[in-house]
Parts: sequence; structure tokens; C-alpha cells
Amino acid sequence: MRSRPTTQTISHIWSEWRRQKLPLYLFGLLCFNLVVAPAVFAAAGETLSRTQSYALGLLGIVTVALSIYLFVDMFQPERF
Amino acid sequence: MKSKPIKIPTGRRDTRKHTPKANMTGLYQRAIRDAFRKLDPRIAIRNPVMFIVWVGTIVTALVTIDPNLFGSVQGENQRLLNGLITLILFLTVLFANFAEAVAEGRGKAQADTLRSTRSDTLARKMLPDGSIQQVSSTSLRRGDQVKVIAGDMIPADGEVIAGIASVDESAITGESAPVLKQPGTDIASSVTGGTRIVSDELTIKITADPGQGFIDRMISLVEGAARTKTPNEIALTVLLAVLTQVFLIVVATTPPLANYVNTPTTIAILISLLVALIPTTIGGLLSAIGIAGMDRVAQFNVIATSGRAVEACGDINTLVLDKTGTITLGNRLADEFIPLNGHTVEEVAKVALAASAFDETPEGRSIVALAERLGARIDFDRDRAEGVEFSARTRMSGTNLPNGREVRKGAVDAIASFVRSRSGKVPNDLDAAYERVSRLGGTPLAVCQEGEIYGVIYLKDIVKPGLRDRFDQLRRMGVKTIMLTGDNRITASVIAKEAGVDDFIAEATPEAKIEVIRREQSQGKLVAMTGDGTNDAPALAQANVGLAMNSGTQAAKEAANMVDLDSDPTKLIDLVTIGKQLLITRGALTTFSIANDIAKYFAIIPTIFSAAGIGALNIMGLKSPQSAILSALIYNALIIPALIPLALTGVKFRPLTADQLLRRNILLYGVGGVIAPFIAIKLIDVIIPFS
Repeated sequence: MRSRPTTQTISHIWSEWRRQKLPLYLFGLLCFNLVVAPAVFAAAGETLSRTQSYALGLLGIVTVALSIYLFVDMFQPERF
Repeated sequence: MKSKPIKIPTGRRDTRKHTPKANMTGLYQRAIRDAFRKLDPRIAIRNPVMFIVWVGTIVTALVTIDPNLFGSVQGENQRLLNGLITLILFLTVLFANFAEAVAEGRGKAQADTLRSTRSDTLARKMLPDGSIQQVSSTSLRRGDQVKVIAGDMIPADGEVIAGIASVDESAITGESAPVLKQPGTDIASSVTGGTRIVSDELTIKITADPGQGFIDRMISLVEGAARTKTPNEIALTVLLAVLTQVFLIVVATTPPLANYVNTPTTIAILISLLVALIPTTIGGLLSAIGIAGMDRVAQFNVIATSGRAVEACGDINTLVLDKTGTITLGNRLADEFIPLNGHTVEEVAKVALAASAFDETPEGRSIVALAERLGARIDFDRDRAEGVEFSARTRMSGTNLPNGREVRKGAVDAIASFVRSRSGKVPNDLDAAYERVSRLGGTPLAVCQEGEIYGVIYLKDIVKPGLRDRFDQLRRMGVKTIMLTGDNRITASVIAKEAGVDDFIAEATPEAKIEVIRREQSQGKLVAMTGDGTNDAPALAQANVGLAMNSGTQAAKEAANMVDLDSDPTKLIDLVTIGKQLLITRGALTTFSIANDIAKYFAIIPTIFSAAGIGALNIMGLKSPQSAILSALIYNALIIPALIPLALTGVKFRPLTADQLLRRNILLYGVGGVIAPFIAIKLIDVIIPFS
């Protein structure tokens, strides 16, 4: 009885996952930060807390992403 | 190329009625709603400069909630400062969205007005067996035939294939006088969906599928649905993206340097610095300028198939203009009969009347009127006579009389050949009469009966008033004007001199038009032209800007990239002005936006890094780093709504050369763009209580 709605929910999530790219990108960004944040934490020594390192790592990734976005905009302006 | 009567609206253009005025009530409320709707990241990402500000707003909002999110921060009121920065950045994005929404809203209001003219009506569709079926206008397809009678609305765009009727086109042209529509002519055979037939009946062959008619195209264009970035907009977007990238790298690499000079900066201040340095003013107004340009063209009752065509108008180097209807008033009128070969004026009038008996053109009717004034009367049975129509090949028209005699009138050389072919002799005084009329700027038409030339008709051509000034303006802007006419060289040179055009092509054939365009284009020039006949279609397609008349044939309208609903060929000159105004506005605001950076740089950098010994550069004497940042950001936000009126109406157009324009823009918007923010930022710094 319960398996059918669950299957439907999973297929719905899967179809939405394929259609809506933004949550996918955000998820990828957060996953990538799991690699960057420890590096930031290690480099900062005692000055930054774990949360601050994680936030700063995320900000660094966002900055790089923005830079890539601007390069795309420069070379393929008609996309926007 | 045949001379055609073209309806020329009278009076100054701005006093004339155009498309019914759009209803602008509620425009700003809608624009405010749309400004919030455009905060959707999927929409925001289309504008690189404002997207950076959008992301910056989110980051500063986070540090407002937790000022120590990206590292421990010293100092008081951090949360308040970050909160104020967030608010100002949010307003900056909102103002930019508002500018775009206002421009789009004006277009939408105009589209709604147009849409109201295009209601779903019942049409009388003619079936193959000849019977008539009532169908909805939306079910009509290209190739269908419909019958419309007095009082009906024409269900879709089409060509008249039978009947003669008056049509009220005021819904699209604003011109209240009904227009005569009839089949088989180069003009007056095409009808537009949404207009109303006021007398008689017509059979129409539909030429556009639902949603593809002229009004539909105009609606989608002014609404922005069909709007794609123009080449200039793309180039400017790339420039803005490059500048933003440079400043992003500069700001992202600032913290190590700031730490080195012992003045650590917070993330909120770095974002403020970035936003102040990137060209937000032009970034926020760029799309509004483009939309407003399209809107201005639509207000002029011109349908452009793309923004590219409007922009191309601003880059035009050469205008190719037909003499008749564009440079001179469309209707040449017979002014005098010059007898030759020993004939009297009365005899010439009699033959000219006979030759014009079936000529329904304004020229033909004016010959009839002049002949009748001189006492001439038709002395043959019209029913047994046969009219001979004018053609570009024969260059003459006339009548085959019931007694078998042929009377003709037409171009002097064509009539001379005709006379010779009838074993006649060309009189010696023909050349003198021809030259006399030509030197007066008129068109000489010879009149003959069988092998004998009777005289010459002087068709008077009147150059439209005010055109000389317009051509002078165009010359100053570096636009060359070329007049094309089927007239002889002497007449053409006289008219060209009187009108003040730069060059002319006399005795031009339809092929000459395309040759002139190709020749100019081979020299790297952009060419604009007007046309209305089927024989103009290849040239309209070849030209960079082809403006077809709404009264013209379907082929001409499909080949052109603009259609003038008023069928006024001189409007091409106005379109060049609109195109140039669009480019100048964009250039002026870009100059202003980039020049603004200098003042913002001087406001923020010396105050932030005063500990590094550059405090002396704080030439504005701003109170504190916090006050300097807030003042620069407030100025940055407020300048966008302040410039919305300029973006929408366009910089006032002056007919100057490219060099003069560049000098003027640099002085006004470059130097002004440096000085204005210095004063404004200092004033804001004095007013705000942040110290």
C-alpha cells in the first residue's frame, strides 16, 4: 500500500531533479566545500572557527563561480 | 518604379494622429510588482552586472545576521552598517529591475491597445464550391478567401482579389480618412486585419496565418516577447562583463594587501567596494534603453521585425530615396501644354485628353482637368475605345480610338520611338521643349497621334517643404542621400539640386536600385531604402534597412525589415534619427557610468586605507570609512532611478558629425560623470548621521 506513493514521490523528485538545475548546482557547491573548508581551516590556524572556515570556503567558491559566469558571459553573450 | 500616388499625411509629424494612445494608468504599480518578480535568480542572471549586486546583497544579508560569519570583526555597529549596506544594495537591484519593468510596461500598454483592435470576429469564408461559410477569424489560414462587406471588420491580413471599397484604417494608422482598396494594383491592394470596411464589399485572399499578422508582430515586438539582444547590446554586455570581471578579481585579491598594510577589511566593505566600482548605472539601464528605443519606433507607427533593424538605422551611411512621394509630393500635376510642330494649344489639349481618357492616376486626371479647362472634350465613344496602360517597359500610356487611330503620351524618347515606328517624323522643336520643362524641374510628357507629335505636357513636380534642411542635417551626420528617379537627367539634376540630395540616379530602372545598394555596400556602407512595389522587393531585402509602405504589396512588406503603417516614405529619415538617438543614449549613459567610478573610487579607497598613509587622497573630506561607503552606495543606487527618464526618452538628438558627438558626449557625460558624483557623494556624506 505504501510502496506506490513512495515510488511516485521518488520518481517525482527524480524528474524535478533533472528539470530544475539550481538545487543541483547548490548541492554540488556544498559538496565541493567539504573539500575546500578543511583547507581554509588548516590555513587559517587558530584565527577561524570551523563554521567561519566553512562560510569562507563557500564564499570563495561563489566568487570563483561568479568569475566563471562572467567569462561565459564574455565569450557567449548571446546565452544571456 | 512607376510613379504611384502615395498618401502623404499632412502637418507636423508630432501633431498627427498615430496609433491610439496607450493607457498608461497603473504603469508604475505594475512596474513595482515586476521589479520584485525580476528578483527571481533565473531572471536576474541575464544581467551580469546586476547579478553580481544581487549575489552581493545575499552575502551582506548573511553578515547582517551574523557579522562574524566570515571571521571575527572588531568595531561597533557592524550589524547596523551591514544592514544598511544590504538595504542599499537591495534597492540598487530593485531600481534596475524597476527601470526595465517601466520600459516593458510602456510596451505592454501599447500592445494592449493594439490587441483591443484585434478581436476575434466572424468571417465569411468562401469555400471552393463558391458557397460561403461563417467561421471564426482565428481559424483562417494563409490562402483562404473571405468576403467582407460594409461594416465588417477585416478578419486578417490579406490581398484584395476582387471588389473596390473604402477601408477605415484608423485603428492602426490613426488616420481617420478611409482608404480606397482595390485589386491588381501595386498599392492599395493589401489590407490589414483589425481595420474596418466602410463601404461596398471586397474579396480578400488571406496572407497571414493566425498570430502572424502585422498587428501580432507589432504586439510581440513592443511587449518584448520577440526581443533578442542586438549586436551593439551584445558588444556592450561583453564590455560590462569584462569590467566586472576585472573589478571582481581586484576586490577578491584586496584582503591580503589590506592585511599587509594593517587595515583589515570586512566582507561587507569589500562587497560595497565591488558594487561601487562595477558599472551598475549602465548595467541597470541597458535593457530599458533598448526597449524604449523599440517603443519609440512603434509610436512612430512603424513595425520593425527586430531590434537589430532599429539599431541598424543609427549606423546608416547611405539613404536611397525614390523621388516621387519621398522627395517630391506624390502627385505631379499637369501645368501647361506646349504645342509643337505647328499645332495649337487646343489641339494638344484635345489629343492629351484622348490619351488620358482611361488614365486613373493623379497625373492622368490632372491632364484631363487641364485639357477640359482649355475647352477640350472627348469626341469618341468611350465604350468602343481601348485604354493602354502604362508599363515600365513601354514608358507610355494612351488610348486606341474607335476609328483605329492610336493616341499616346509618355516619356519623350519613348514617344519619339513610337512615332518613328509609325513612319512619322520627330519635330525639331521637341528637344527644346523637353529641355525647357526639364530645366524647370518638371517632367516632360510628349503627346502624339499615330505618327505625329502634337506637343509636350509639363508635369510640375513639387519638392516637399522642409526636406532641404533634413538632408542638410543628414549630411552633417555623415549620411549620404541618393535620389532615384525614372525622370531624365536634366529634370533629376534640377530636383536633386532643389531638394539638396548628395547624388541622383536618373532614368533608373528597378534593377538600378539594387545596383546602387550593392555598390554602396561594397564600400562598407550600410544602406537604407524605402519601397512599396513588388519590383522593389529584391532591393528592400538587399538593403540593411528596408522600409516598406503598408499600402505596398505583400512581397515588398515581406522583403523589408520594417513596415510603415502610415505609408510615409519620408519617415525613413526619422527612423535614422531614432536609431542614432538609441545609440547615442546608450553611449552617453555608458560614458557617465564609467566616469562615475572615479569619484566612487576616491570616496571609498582613501577612507578605508587611511591607515596605509593615503588619507590625503580623501579630497572630499568624508567623515569616516562607514559614511564614505554608505554615501557612495546611496549615490550608486539613486542615480539609476534618476536616469530612468533619460533612458526612456533618449538623449536629445542633435545632427552632429561622429567626432562632434564624441567630443560633446565626453564633455557632458564624461566630465559631468566625474564631477556630479563628487558633489552628490559629499552632500550625502553631510546629510547622513553616520560617523
